[in-house]
Amino acid sequence: MAAKSQKTMEAYHQEALDSGLKDRTLLAQLWPFMKPHGVWLWLGIVSIALGAGLSLLRPLIMLHAIDGSLKTHDPDLIFWGGMQFAAVALCEQLLQFAQTYAVQVLGARSMADLRVSVFAFLCRLPLGFFDRQPVGRLVTRVTNDVDAIQELFNSGALNAIGDLLRLFGVVAIMLSLDASLSLVAFAAMPVIGLLMVWVRRRSRDAFRTIRGETARMNSNMNEQVNGVALIQAFGQERNKAIEFDGINSSYRDANIRSIKYDAIQDAAIDAVGSVSLASIIVALGYHGASFGTVVALTAYLSQFFEPISQLAQRYTLLQSALAGAERVFGLLQVPDRDAPERTGRAIADGSQEWALELEHVSFGYKPDYDVLHDVSLEALAGESIALVGPTGSGKTTITALLLRLYEARQGTVRVHGRDVTGLGRDELRRQFAVVPQDVYLFSGTLAQNVAAGEVPDLARVEQVLRQMDIYDLLGRRPGGLETVVRNGGSNFSSGERQLIAFARALYRDARILILDEATASIDSQTEGRMQRALEELLRGRTSIIVAHRLSTIRQASRIVVLQKGRVVERGTHDQLLRQNGLYSALHELQFSREGSVPLDETSQRVAAPPSPPAPA
Amino acid sequence: MQPEEVHALPVTLAGQFRRHLPRYAVGLVLLASYQAAQYWFDTRLMQAINAATAGHREQALRLGALLGVVALLSLLVRVASRLVLFNAGRIGEYELRAVLLDRLQRLGPTFYQRVAVGDIMCRATNDLTHVRLLLGFGVLNAMNTIFGLISALAVTLSISSELTWAAMAPIPVLFYVTRRFSSQLYGRQKENQEAIGEMSDMVQASITGARVVRSFNLEGLQLSAFEKVNARYLEKNLFLARLRGSMGPIMQGITASGVLIVFWYGGSLLVQGRITEGGFLAFFRALGRLTWPLMALGFLVGLVQRGRAAYVRLREIYQAEPDIVDGPLPAPPEVKGHIEVRDLSFGYGERSVLRGVSFELLPGRSVAIVGRTGSGKSTLARLLPRLENTPRGMVFLDGYDICDLPLSVVRKAIGYAQQNPFLFSTTAARNIGLPLPECESPLALLTITEAARRAYILDELLGLPDGIDTVVGERGVQLSGGQKQRVALASAFVLGPRVLVLDDPLSAVDARTEHGILEAIDEQRAERGVVLITHRVAAARRCDRILVLDEGRVVESGTHDELSKSGGLYQGFVEEQRIESELSRLGEMDLPRLGAAS
Repeated sequence: MAAKSQKTMEAYHQEALDSGLKDRTLLAQLWPFMKPHGVWLWLGIVSIALGAGLSLLRPLIMLHAIDGSLKTHDPDLIFWGGMQFAAVALCEQLLQFAQTYAVQVLGARSMADLRVSVFAFLCRLPLGFFDRQPVGRLVTRVTNDVDAIQELFNSGALNAIGDLLRLFGVVAIMLSLDASLSLVAFAAMPVIGLLMVWVRRRSRDAFRTIRGETARMNSNMNEQVNGVALIQAFGQERNKAIEFDGINSSYRDANIRSIKYDAIQDAAIDAVGSVSLASIIVALGYHGASFGTVVALTAYLSQFFEPISQLAQRYTLLQSALAGAERVFGLLQVPDRDAPERTGRAIADGSQEWALELEHVSFGYKPDYDVLHDVSLEALAGESIALVGPTGSGKTTITALLLRLYEARQGTVRVHGRDVTGLGRDELRRQFAVVPQDVYLFSGTLAQNVAAGEVPDLARVEQVLRQMDIYDLLGRRPGGLETVVRNGGSNFSSGERQLIAFARALYRDARILILDEATASIDSQTEGRMQRALEELLRGRTSIIVAHRLSTIRQASRIVVLQKGRVVERGTHDQLLRQNGLYSALHELQFSREGSVPLDETSQRVAAPPSPPAPA
Repeated sequence: MQPEEVHALPVTLAGQFRRHLPRYAVGLVLLASYQAAQYWFDTRLMQAINAATAGHREQALRLGALLGVVALLSLLVRVASRLVLFNAGRIGEYELRAVLLDRLQRLGPTFYQRVAVGDIMCRATNDLTHVRLLLGFGVLNAMNTIFGLISALAVTLSISSELTWAAMAPIPVLFYVTRRFSSQLYGRQKENQEAIGEMSDMVQASITGARVVRSFNLEGLQLSAFEKVNARYLEKNLFLARLRGSMGPIMQGITASGVLIVFWYGGSLLVQGRITEGGFLAFFRALGRLTWPLMALGFLVGLVQRGRAAYVRLREIYQAEPDIVDGPLPAPPEVKGHIEVRDLSFGYGERSVLRGVSFELLPGRSVAIVGRTGSGKSTLARLLPRLENTPRGMVFLDGYDICDLPLSVVRKAIGYAQQNPFLFSTTAARNIGLPLPECESPLALLTITEAARRAYILDELLGLPDGIDTVVGERGVQLSGGQKQRVALASAFVLGPRVLVLDDPLSAVDARTEHGILEAIDEQRAERGVVLITHRVAAARRCDRILVLDEGRVVESGTHDELSKSGGLYQGFVEEQRIESELSRLGEMDLPRLGAAS
């Protein structure tokens, strides 16, 4: 058990998303996002190349000025040399700014585009996709993972080009200035090369361990804080502290390893630089060279070591960016689409007579478990159908299929005679106004919520509220229609939230209404208003109502009774009561009681309406 | 490090410095020797060049060989100084983090109600990083800058004092500029973080509300809302880009002006013969050595400020007073599990939750506590094992006030399974075996599977991809609410307390599972005392006694038979649940299906 569970734990901590994408493919997939901002890329590359070239000039200027002035004893030469030096330095810094800025702009802009693409992609995924994925992970794809790619630009990975150019340039110029002195200086090179090879792999391993341990450590501490009551209840403080210490100390040790390799690398480059300098000077004793040449060679020597140490760092950054890219593009590979429009023979349009129609529909959220079995129902234009049944009988699922939030596994769903699979997503859903069971309020104002995200026409919002006779309740709050909705609507009562959802549906003024009534009890004052508002909402519309209250059911023209995903009864209230079947049993149990309060919200029972049961 | 050692670690910054004083002293000596070696190197370099240009080969060779040796020795010293001082930061970070967890584990509900989890995590990560940078990087650079300055000035002053003052001219500017950049950069990065936080919230809300978004075809509007947030983040990014882009060039520009001064003024001194060639080159080198430490100095000031501010935030956790601590009495030799609650009143601030609750539970007997949501029954459950700040003189275990007993005794004796259990991201087996010292031995595994079987969860766990070794929790397989409850129940069984407090173990399970759990609870009742918090009459009726809570008061008490005829609140519950089970029976019943449309 120990070994196995250890392995599974590691797999979870790494959170690997194996999309099977190769590094080169990943970079190729980044290109379309960079291409529109190509100007910045070219600006960056050109200034990097120019900057690298200019940086090679400085020691040469020093060489000529020093040698010239030492020979002629003319201070003017030094002065002019200084002027040249200043001019080159100025240009170099300007180019440096240009390239750093250009590359960062390129990164920021192209990654902003990538973010929009990922978000737009999320908007095209079917609802079922979100049922399977933790929300946090998807949010990370849009934010942190894209940021990891952007870091590649911010950290100046493109500078690697400049580093390479400079490296070759330095070697070429040094050799041309004084081949033998340069060769002496380079004598220590193989040492550096070997050392870099030795350090780099270990340092990369340490870096990788640090990243893994950081994630483990934060999630462990996060869990211990969240589960602190449980740890205290079971007296597990000590064991959990030991567990944490294991991660904390291996994090420390990995960091200490990484410090060691970094320190060795930095110090070694520095020391080899000093040794090279010393060897040039010794060689100078045997092999005459001008003092200017010596100054220039030492200056080049320091330029030579700088890019070497940076190339190593850039490689680790590239790795982390590629890991981010792999996760982002792995998501973009998901083939599922929300309500794709189909063409051809698969579309089964039907009679225009029915506003809504389900024909032999079967459906399940999981592949091998159906929650609807061969359901058929239909509604004429202007008709109001109530869906009634015990919890879990599939009422809400039917409304989801009408909107094509999910795809029927078998059978056909039609809206105004059109097969929903043959309609565009927006074309279909525009015909509906929905009042969901759990009202979702957006962040924004009351008016924005009534307008469902559109720019609200305040006059119309007010008119809608007045029409439903709830303006005095909602519009008279201190902030009026501009009252800000705080975190998901906590500053509105559940009854008020329902009324806002009603108003939202009326504002939308769609031909078909889907109402999924809340099961929670609502204070009797709001209850009365709700009935009046509902009458307004139903007027002139085709509607499907998942009903929990007798008052609501009584406004429907027909009732469809569901049980275990099947239609078991249908008819009017009076007809069904006379049948003495499930409906009349439900009615007796659920709708005809008065006054009692639910014991606990976890119970599924529904508050009884104040109105007495209708005479049969 | 053992948890006992952690508890004794110093938590003040000064305490940390004192604790690692030998380390810092060694670091100081190493840095001083390194900079002394640098001084030696530069001055001998000067002699070597002069010897070489003058044609004194042997002298140059001897000096060159010495230079090489010193370069290699200073490599070792430099590596050692980094190791000693940076490690001080890492070790300090490790210790401070261990103490942080130690304190967090001791703190009770008063603290956790005040400080949000996100806030705690922010301190444990960001703030601790700032403190670490102060303890390691900060100290090293402060020392290094001082010694570096001394060593470089010793070289340059020995060559030419005028040239030294001239070369130092840009340094105050450099210091001022890095200081400005450092604070600007920090502020801007924070704004950047806020912007991405805002984006995160927006995406999260959009995914959470996906059903509404889809139903109202609001995708377009969501996308434009996202584009707005994204544009704000882009704007912050671009600002940061300008800042970062200009920082390097400006700082290097200032440094280059120093080089220019030396080149210009030093060059003319060289031409006039007032300094030697070797002096000129050594001066350059010494100046080059100074650049980085002086640049770092600008950042250092900001680093110290942030480190101290971060430490102040951490101190709030270090110094928070745990509200629930061990009582003065020693552990009694044996715990029988006799619980007495006398006139217990409790509240959060102004809000009173329990008012004068009294009851007694004899060893091995059971009591059910029923009531509506908000009646105070869960609070009562948490008060018994002192998971809340139980007032003195109100809850007694075997006649001792539980506030007088060691916490470990109370919590071992009174086991508690919570209603919305938390699962750790580890295997199901380890979650169940949480009360055990280890979960790997065959005996432990046996205990775990037995508890899982009793809690009616074993079969479902065995059906998971890796069986009982499947990782569950946030980063693993998501269990349903009912499954989590039963895992919690199983771990309460593993604990094997004298009294088992079960907080609504049936609130999220279906009828069949409910039946299984009720049987498991019956088994437990035979072995130990049970306090069952529940809203289910079917569960309550099995207990020896039932207390009905309403608005924090006991309004009814008695057996099921007595209470179900009393005409009170309990009778209402009985009736209501009869209807409920009737409804669910209707939902499960096999009915003939209706044919085609009528």
